[in-house]
Amino acid sequence: MKKTLTTCPYCGTGCMFYLLSDENNDKILGVEPSRSHPVSQGSLCVKGWNAFDFVNHPDRLKFPLIRRNGNLEQASWEESLDLIVRNLKKIQEKYGNDSVMFFSSAKTTNEENYLMMKLARAVFKTNNVDHCARLCHSSTVAGLAKTFGSGAMTNSISCMEKSDCFLVIGSNTTEQHPLIGTRIMNSVIERGAKLIVADNRKIRLASYSDIHLRHKNGTDVALLNGMMHVIIKEGLEDKQFIAKRTENYEELKNTVENFPPAISAEITGLKAEDIVKAARIFSKADRAMIVYSMGITQHTHGVDNVKSCANLVMLTGNIGRPGTGVNPLRGQNNVQGACDLGALPNVYSGYQKVTDENIRAKFKKAWNIKDLPGNVGLTVTTAINAAAEGNLKALYVMGENPMLSDPDQNHVREALEKIDFLVVQDIFPTQTSELADVILPASCFAEKNGTFTSTERRVQRVRKAIEAPGESRTDWKILCDIAKRAGYDGMQYSSAKEIMDEINEVTPSYSGITYDRIDQIGLQWPCPDKSHPGTPILHVDKFARGLGLFSPAPYKPPAELPDEEYPFVLSTGRCYFHFHTGTMTRRSKLLDREERFPYVEINPEDASHLKIHDRDYVMVATRRGEIKAMARVTNVVLPGVIFMTFHFSEGAANVLTNNALDPEAKIPEYKVCAAKIRRLS
Amino acid sequence: MKAATLKELENFFKTCESEYDVLVPIELHDGTRSLGKITDGPLALAGELIPQKTTSIFFPQRETMFTIGIDNNFIVPEPPEKPIMVVGLTAEDAECLEFIDKFFSTDYRDDIYFKKRDNSVVFVISGKCGKNGEFLKISGGKCDIELVCNGDKYIVVPYTEKGNELEKHLICSTEIASLEALHKESDALPTNEKDILLEASKLIAQDRVPEEFWDEIANRCIACTGCNLVCPTCTCFHVGDLNFEGIVVRERIWDSCQLDGFMREASGHNPMGIEGQRTRRRIHHKLVADLDRWGHVTCFLCGRCDEVCPTNIGIKSVTKEIVDRFGQK
Repeated sequence: MKKTLTTCPYCGTGCMFYLLSDENNDKILGVEPSRSHPVSQGSLCVKGWNAFDFVNHPDRLKFPLIRRNGNLEQASWEESLDLIVRNLKKIQEKYGNDSVMFFSSAKTTNEENYLMMKLARAVFKTNNVDHCARLCHSSTVAGLAKTFGSGAMTNSISCMEKSDCFLVIGSNTTEQHPLIGTRIMNSVIERGAKLIVADNRKIRLASYSDIHLRHKNGTDVALLNGMMHVIIKEGLEDKQFIAKRTENYEELKNTVENFPPAISAEITGLKAEDIVKAARIFSKADRAMIVYSMGITQHTHGVDNVKSCANLVMLTGNIGRPGTGVNPLRGQNNVQGACDLGALPNVYSGYQKVTDENIRAKFKKAWNIKDLPGNVGLTVTTAINAAAEGNLKALYVMGENPMLSDPDQNHVREALEKIDFLVVQDIFPTQTSELADVILPASCFAEKNGTFTSTERRVQRVRKAIEAPGESRTDWKILCDIAKRAGYDGMQYSSAKEIMDEINEVTPSYSGITYDRIDQIGLQWPCPDKSHPGTPILHVDKFARGLGLFSPAPYKPPAELPDEEYPFVLSTGRCYFHFHTGTMTRRSKLLDREERFPYVEINPEDASHLKIHDRDYVMVATRRGEIKAMARVTNVVLPGVIFMTFHFSEGAANVLTNNALDPEAKIPEYKVCAAKIRRLS
Repeated sequence: MKAATLKELENFFKTCESEYDVLVPIELHDGTRSLGKITDGPLALAGELIPQKTTSIFFPQRETMFTIGIDNNFIVPEPPEKPIMVVGLTAEDAECLEFIDKFFSTDYRDDIYFKKRDNSVVFVISGKCGKNGEFLKISGGKCDIELVCNGDKYIVVPYTEKGNELEKHLICSTEIASLEALHKESDALPTNEKDILLEASKLIAQDRVPEEFWDEIANRCIACTGCNLVCPTCTCFHVGDLNFEGIVVRERIWDSCQLDGFMREASGHNPMGIEGQRTRRRIHHKLVADLDRWGHVTCFLCGRCDEVCPTNIGIKSVTKEIVDRFGQK
């Protein structure tokens, strides 16, 4: 049995384990956690323990498929790659370079994300490249870049063990980032750290909290402004920190002046005294941190939410030290890396702007090409709209499943059906590949080398344990083949390491991160040179932008609120046992067994009014569509709120969600829309 | 008795490879201690507890039970080409192995398990070779050979015929070594953990541990299932079929009683539907139900569930809490 040290392919926590494989290099036989890894420390969550199971599933895509006369038929690589390049070029000639879009993937490696953005920019001359960070943390990237100058988790996971106080807002940490959640839980139980949970749902952490704020969905800004109002009024702010390290404080003061506890309470539905209590607990702690996730980001005011979190930690001087900071927990294994490597429409790797002429000149030279586009490209969300309007003609999707993950699925289907040419590169057939003109079979994490970057900015090795099935190829090799066929010679590599060498050259924050240095334990960026030890805590003496910028936000309600016809707030998210669109977890026996049906959480009070019993089939409807699900009658949700997960194609929550976007980050409002629910007889 | 140096043992293990599939404690890439081939990493006879259960050599996380081919031919896995020699069980692990041997052969004999287990040779390592030189209990049996570390060398103690045969081929510079002092040290090891375990067993059996306690512990459980997966006496598995274009492979993979789906009925009803009940079951089963069935508890205090649990509710922690809170003051 062979044991290969690699990084877990599920969430952004970045646990490492050994994949156990057979002597023939074709079957994964189990996992063994890494004992020395700083995050795993010999433990894993249930998804990690089962991360071996989907790899050898019979459904794996094994050869390319081309649609002929409406049917997907087996084809050769040669023919498939030629067809892709020919069609993309043809469409670009007819409709312009920006009529083509590339979806990169937070499930693939850093090297592959780098190549996807290089392919889009250097070869196809478009900045239309984006990935699912748009749907999860684009508001973080925008909000924290604005306030601090760097859009990533400020501290390390190990900092959780040093914090005196946690504000967990919009993160069901024990379920979505289990080995981070357990650190928070242990800190409370064993060290007596304070815990404020601000979440509408009664999550596991809430039972350990000093105070559980069940504010109305989408009122985070009002809550945070209310807390800051109290802190300033009671003189609990960190005056020295504000004076020395920040700017624009007066404006913050003016904005939060309008949020006395009574007003904040009215908007949030909380008791005024609870807001006061939370403000005091947070500001009186020596080392307090905010931990947040999609509950903060997935709103039409997601960027405002993020900025408000940043404002609160600056106001209380809780940044740049162990145990403090703004700690957005990234959802996908490599969503941090996909952003870092420039799979975004506005930046190259290392967040270097495409609109900056000097930066373009640098990349032109590095990539040995004459020109690069300088306009900001489409996002995942605006691309779907552009396709629906007929302005986007071709889409190349690598390892994403927008048919299930993007809001307002009927709209997505219309858009994808309207597109002239759809390429899907994936490891399994998906709801999106059903619509594809060409499908390319890719390798999964167990079958290739590369790196993932975890939520704490730690760049870690991914190692090949077994051979990929059938004719499938690694994503990076496929992208290189496409580039070559399109007439570009500057994208040929003999190994993933060679790609990282190039990343080191052009990406200042990754310059010092080489395969040799991260052989056992990864390094945290920024790591600007080969002797730099990495950066566990950002903004220690100085913010990345110099001074921290207080960026006050007014309260804006969600785009769609309940009314008479649609009286419930529908919020969506994930459950512990499944990951995103379920492509992998629903093909893992134990995980699939745990949650087998689409379900909707409803409060007993509402259920009783509607004569809905636990496990009854119900129809949930919004203005966008309706789906069937099984009722889960539970106090986890408040009266008036229902909650669904988006894992299930047979009851896809994203048929219901609203494609209303944050104006800056273009993130959809997955967390709030108006819905109705009825029992099926 | 012979006493072997590390080098002599390493040479010996290498010579055994012609006859056996030899698995020894090694250091993996990042220093994690594990069982592997001698060529897979540096030999690590001494060190921290091997995190993975050592019984996984005979009962792995995933294995094929049978395959039905396209012509409906029924293929069962062959026994390994060479018998397995596994080195590095602790005394506690050896007790666990003895128990699962019994478990897998009572009422129904599990062929898949015994194809690997039959003809295998098991070495226990004990003495001054734990984490930071900590003394590991001497087994005194329940294996074929024991290697007892005296801080310098490993005294070789064969117990079975197979063990005697192997010992003959082990070339050592030291032919005469005494175990006496080491036995004394082993006998003097504290037994409080065992006392606590048995006391907790009684308290649970006497129904003196209230439901609220189990709910409280369960609230800390994130259902990672690690406690079950690293437990050498956990034997539950899930059965599933993979259909590769007409070829059906039936597999079994480790399962966990901490999952809702473990006991859930097809109707959706679950007699163990509450987390607290599942947490209670994990402990009750080993300390009470198994005591009734087998005449002894089936936790041998190997310590792995305490090491793997991210929220510190392994069996040692929970039984200690039970005794502290509900035991005789």
